[in-house]
Amino acid sequence: MPPALSFAQVRRRFGRLAVLGGVSASVATGEVLLVTGRNGSGKSTLLRCLAGLLAPDSGTIDYSEDGAPMDAAARRRRIGLVAPDLAFYGELTAAENLAFFSRLRGIGRERGDELLRRLELPPDRPTAALSSGMRQRLRWAWALLHRPRLLLLDEPFQNLDAAGVAIVRRLLAEHLAPSPAAAGAPGLAVVANPVPLEIGSVAGNLDLGA
Amino acid sequence: MPAASAVSRPASTWVREAAAVFAKEWRSELRTRYALNTLALFAVNTLVVVSASLGPLGAAPGRSSETLPVLLWLILLFAAAAGLPRSFVHEEETQTATALRLAATPSALFCGKLAYALTLLAALEALVAPLFLAVMNLDVARPGLLVATLAAGGFGLAAGSTLVAAIIAQARGKGTLFAVLSFPVLLPLLLLAVELTRGAFAGGGPPGQGEQGGLGEAGVALMQLLLYDGAVTTAGLMLFPVVWNP
Repeated sequence: MPPALSFAQVRRRFGRLAVLGGVSASVATGEVLLVTGRNGSGKSTLLRCLAGLLAPDSGTIDYSEDGAPMDAAARRRRIGLVAPDLAFYGELTAAENLAFFSRLRGIGRERGDELLRRLELPPDRPTAALSSGMRQRLRWAWALLHRPRLLLLDEPFQNLDAAGVAIVRRLLAEHLAPSPAAAGAPGLAVVANPVPLEIGSVAGNLDLGA
Repeated sequence: MPAASAVSRPASTWVREAAAVFAKEWRSELRTRYALNTLALFAVNTLVVVSASLGPLGAAPGRSSETLPVLLWLILLFAAAAGLPRSFVHEEETQTATALRLAATPSALFCGKLAYALTLLAALEALVAPLFLAVMNLDVARPGLLVATLAAGGFGLAAGSTLVAAIIAQARGKGTLFAVLSFPVLLPLLLLAVELTRGAFAGGGPPGQGEQGGLGEAGVALMQLLLYDGAVTTAGLMLFPVVWNP
């Protein structure tokens, strides 16, 4: 059974400030949900709720893979996240960072090496010495490391040059519709602050407004 | 169908995760040497001050066995307080905590961090204890008891500090909070460890108490210290997933 994500009436406040006021949408396999809105409209907050990093005050978030619904703890482990505030160990190299998270996730180093190659990242440079664009590529490598079915992408093209954008667009297209030779099953994605994507089928445009 | 949860995972997976965290902590530490330098510098500086003031040329010899165990554990406590909380706080400050939250099982993460704190504290004790005995010109009547006290006390200090560090990591005013929260958590440990160390320096059980049948007073106090270690570690394993995740 293909993975599917739906959420209904998700609300979240920070003190007196209501950031999300009852947001609902759903996404199916091979689809992309676009989330737009001005700064402070709650796009990142919504993605953090979907990732299981933030508990909504009310509302439901349902995500299932192979017919099995997942709670927030399971969802946290399964999703892939690209976000501006995602950081890695500056004293370790890109390869060492990916090797560490590969070990945590119980996958071989080959996957990390493959992503480093595809994203044209220098494996032996300390992460602290990477440019902002290279760090964004490392976020993509980290997000795709465990072949997640659900990708949550917050400003996914931030700081990337034209070559970087081309690489990650290719990776996103493969995620949504893998070639028959690839091992993975089709995934789905929620993208906040998207540039025109022209990738996959758009499930909807959730405009969070002001 | 029941919701899948990340809580129930095979033991081998859990051990692998904890080992990965432990290895990463030491790799990062050996690159930056922040905690190693902080702990060692603090401990040696304090030791020099104490030895210059209360060493063989300072305090009256008769007071040594009463005063010196307190000083030894104060040196260990403050050195640990200077270096150990950084483990979790650093993850929040450098925003690496998000990646960890999404990839690691909380209890495995706690145990990996605890194992790192334990080895760091063991290294600190291996440096401080012999130096302390040397500069204070102390004879240890029961070296076995001293080693057991340092091991059990060090475990408790590492477990208590790791637990408090995990609790305060997401809060503001971390330094103040660490002091406030660690006081009630670490006080029983310090009282027991000081009494046992006194017993090790002076011989017999803790001062003023003679040997009894079975384990003796020292054995009972050591058992209490081990129980404390077990309780704090269990509390850490139970509380950590709650304070770590939303």
